[in-house]
Amino acid sequence: MPSSHSSPYQKDSAAAQGLLNCLVCQQLAPIGTQHCKRCGTFLSPRVKNSVQISLSLLITAAILYIPANMYPIMVTDLLGDETKSTIIGGIILFLESESYFIAAVIFIASVIVPIGKMAAIAWLCFSAMRNKPIQQLELTKMYRVTEFIGKWSMVDVFVVAILVALIQLGGLMSIHVGAAATSFASVVILTMISAHQFDTRLLWDKTEE
Amino acid sequence: MIDEHQHACLECDLLITMPEQISHRSNVVCPRCHHVIAVGHNNARHYVLALCITALILMLIACSFAFISFATSGQQRTIGLLQTSTELYSQGYWLISVLVFVFILLLPILYLLSVSYIILSSRFALRLVPIVWLGKVIAYILPWSMAEVFLIGVLVALIKVISMADITLEAAFWAYVLFAPLFTHIVFIVDNHRLWRWIEDAK
Repeated sequence: MPSSHSSPYQKDSAAAQGLLNCLVCQQLAPIGTQHCKRCGTFLSPRVKNSVQISLSLLITAAILYIPANMYPIMVTDLLGDETKSTIIGGIILFLESESYFIAAVIFIASVIVPIGKMAAIAWLCFSAMRNKPIQQLELTKMYRVTEFIGKWSMVDVFVVAILVALIQLGGLMSIHVGAAATSFASVVILTMISAHQFDTRLLWDKTEE
Repeated sequence: MIDEHQHACLECDLLITMPEQISHRSNVVCPRCHHVIAVGHNNARHYVLALCITALILMLIACSFAFISFATSGQQRTIGLLQTSTELYSQGYWLISVLVFVFILLLPILYLLSVSYIILSSRFALRLVPIVWLGKVIAYILPWSMAEVFLIGVLVALIKVISMADITLEAAFWAYVLFAPLFTHIVFIVDNHRLWRWIEDAK
């Protein structure tokens, strides 16, 4: 059972001692201060509606992940012969040409990381919302991994950008961008903002399992 | 009255007292959630300024010279770093084009310039840009600088085309190969605690 405190915060946290932490410059201010004295950022004990904002961005990202996989990310034009390749198609192509290492890099960066990240944020939001003791340290570590790997999914978009710039030899061989590139970039950006919006301090306000 | 050495952990809100002196190469870590709060370095100001200037010079080289050359059956094409963004733009994909430009060039450069400016203004009275404003800018752009991600992207793209044609890696490529890890190192040394102490000194 969660132990009963008079305040909603754990007693050794700054919020329980009447202090607000500025998320930008990390200066403390007494509770009731509207804006940080040093940098002017709006202050509140916890990020307002953090879980709701995270979840809504997450759902948008999940929806956009569908067109990102359905449409081609890249169109190769070889002597007038057009080949459209999706993200998964590209991985299969690498597997067929026995470049297992690249296949693994692309598979991890564009399939495992985005899906794993979305699952991780959903799990964090669920844990922060329900009224049960949680494993705080483990969840915080999971959050850190999620935040760290977030931008690495952009690898796929950068690969396309470089190939498109490099391979433009007129009718001989040229590569064009596909519609999926925009959706995939949006998925990455939305999940990054979603992870950033999640306030890990909510986890520490709960009781340890 | 709030004690100057009091610090609330960003990730778990634990109230801790910061040590007066953080010894070289040792980190201040939150005792509860293990979040790294500050990184110890004896001469961070000079060290970071020197690294920032080096990184900016490397970036200048990366932007002004050829990046990669690609030749197959008599046809040759050489691209610069900027073309990774402009080529997308000319194909009508302006959103990704802008994103690529912002993530790999604009934000890293903006970050380096801001940090150098903050360090320099603690020594000289520069009054061109409000320093606190720069500190806020850094806080917002840092998660979006993707120099190291782009480097991996370049390597993957190279392996993809290396069997198709003759690839020559030009000066800008090597400059960027040096730039990306250097940038990551600078970001590691300039933790938030140190950055805002510099800003306080410069005010």
